[in-house]
Amino acid sequence: MPIQGLEVLQSSASLRGQNTGLRVLAKVSKYIDTSTCIGCKACEVACQEWNDLPVVPTQQVGTYQTLPTLQADFWNLIRFNEQEFEGGLAWLMRKDQCMHCADPGCLAACPAPGAIVQYANGIVDVNAENCIGCGLCETGCPFDVPRFSAKTGKMSKCTLCVDRVDSGLEPACIKACPTGCLHFGTKEDMVELGHARVKQLQANGFANAMLYDPPGVGGTGVVTVLAHGDKPELYGLPKDPRVPLSVTFSKRILKPLGIFAIGATLVGLFTHYVRTGPKKPHDDNPPRTGG
Amino acid sequence: MAHVVSPPNVGHADAAIAVARSLEDVEVGDRIVRHTLATRLMHWLVGTSFILSFLTGMPIWTPIFGWMAALFGGLQVCRWLHPFLGVLFSVGLLWMAASWWSQMVMSGRDMEWLSPAYFAKYLRFESTDPETGKYNGGQKALFWIALLGGVALFLSGLVLWFPGVFPQALREVSWILHDVAFIAFFLLIIGHVYLAIADPGTFESMVDGTVSKPWARLHHPRWYRDVTGEQRK
Repeated sequence: MPIQGLEVLQSSASLRGQNTGLRVLAKVSKYIDTSTCIGCKACEVACQEWNDLPVVPTQQVGTYQTLPTLQADFWNLIRFNEQEFEGGLAWLMRKDQCMHCADPGCLAACPAPGAIVQYANGIVDVNAENCIGCGLCETGCPFDVPRFSAKTGKMSKCTLCVDRVDSGLEPACIKACPTGCLHFGTKEDMVELGHARVKQLQANGFANAMLYDPPGVGGTGVVTVLAHGDKPELYGLPKDPRVPLSVTFSKRILKPLGIFAIGATLVGLFTHYVRTGPKKPHDDNPPRTGG
Repeated sequence: MAHVVSPPNVGHADAAIAVARSLEDVEVGDRIVRHTLATRLMHWLVGTSFILSFLTGMPIWTPIFGWMAALFGGLQVCRWLHPFLGVLFSVGLLWMAASWWSQMVMSGRDMEWLSPAYFAKYLRFESTDPETGKYNGGQKALFWIALLGGVALFLSGLVLWFPGVFPQALREVSWILHDVAFIAFFLLIIGHVYLAIADPGTFESMVDGTVSKPWARLHHPRWYRDVTGEQRK
């Protein structure tokens, strides 16, 4: 169901799927500072509460992490990683959720018109009523975020609390964060905040600190400050995420090529028929008897 | 193997059709039985399951063909139905393999049929190979390509059916394979259907199982001689 007051910028599997919006909206973004996250999981609880998601039984994975991975009914997961460095141990935590890419692989991969949309403010959302539950968005996502729900037969993921944002509120996870490691605002402001924090970290001895806003997917609607920015994999983030080549190849090359080949074959055979005609036996059939 | 069946007293208006229920490669009156009922049912299973798979798959492939989904009640239905139709298609292909495998073994002469020069002659209706048997080189090649394409479509389709079960790399490979196998397969099938419809007398062999003698002499001369016992002129 499209959100009132939010126009669709891009829509999956739609012929005029791009730049359909008239209103001018600022792109929004979450800001996550992994270096000040204390792993309290208040954001996990807030996400479940606001989105009316059930209490999910936790699983023991050997760390404080609630579940091994995101689930169809669990959209916000703090990932814990104990990493040994020279001179000590680092306890790395990162809030994992949909990254709301500017160039979303899920949307590119989706074959169902309007099932995945990107609103004019940059939020990428799943419209359950259009979703056919094929799971191709899972293949298209470089961050392994969308999840198929066996209960609904549809895909689900973080909506960036589009219902709250549309009403001028910040997402539930941001609201719940006690340390201020989470912020919400325009993408521009969040990037500025991120760069300021990165500079601070660099001055404090984290030479490789960086703001994770990967250009391979056009930047993301979630910018993440990483103290060990040279190794985003330690936080469970791909180094250079891109829409998979297979998705691009299928959609941009194979599809037009295939349609052209089918059309050309039909035209060619029709031309053959009117030029060369049917291949008739020399003597005509004698009439069939009986009947 | 000259084989003439005298019109039996089967209580059917057309003796050839009655014979075609269980016998093939026989002459009945002025007709020749080309395909038994079992062969025709097998081929119709392959054909209809392919067409239904096509109609449910195209709207998932690209929204340009989204209107096809309306025939089944929407894209959700297509996503649910398409894999089952694919399984049915695969069953049909297995039956086809069992029926035709030995008849479709390709000879050197069949390979020549596939050469661009001969194929061009074929398309201009100038092919005059008197040794073309019951199936020509093109038909035999189509049989093997259909089986190969069927295996590719089935295996890649299985991965696409249950994406959660398979790793990312396999899902990506399957996606491309399903696309490529479909496009190649469909182009050949367009040609196959064209020849069946555009060459008068051909389609009937898949309906009542029989063909006329002139048709057999024109398209499959060696098979015609084998069935009728007529000597090569």
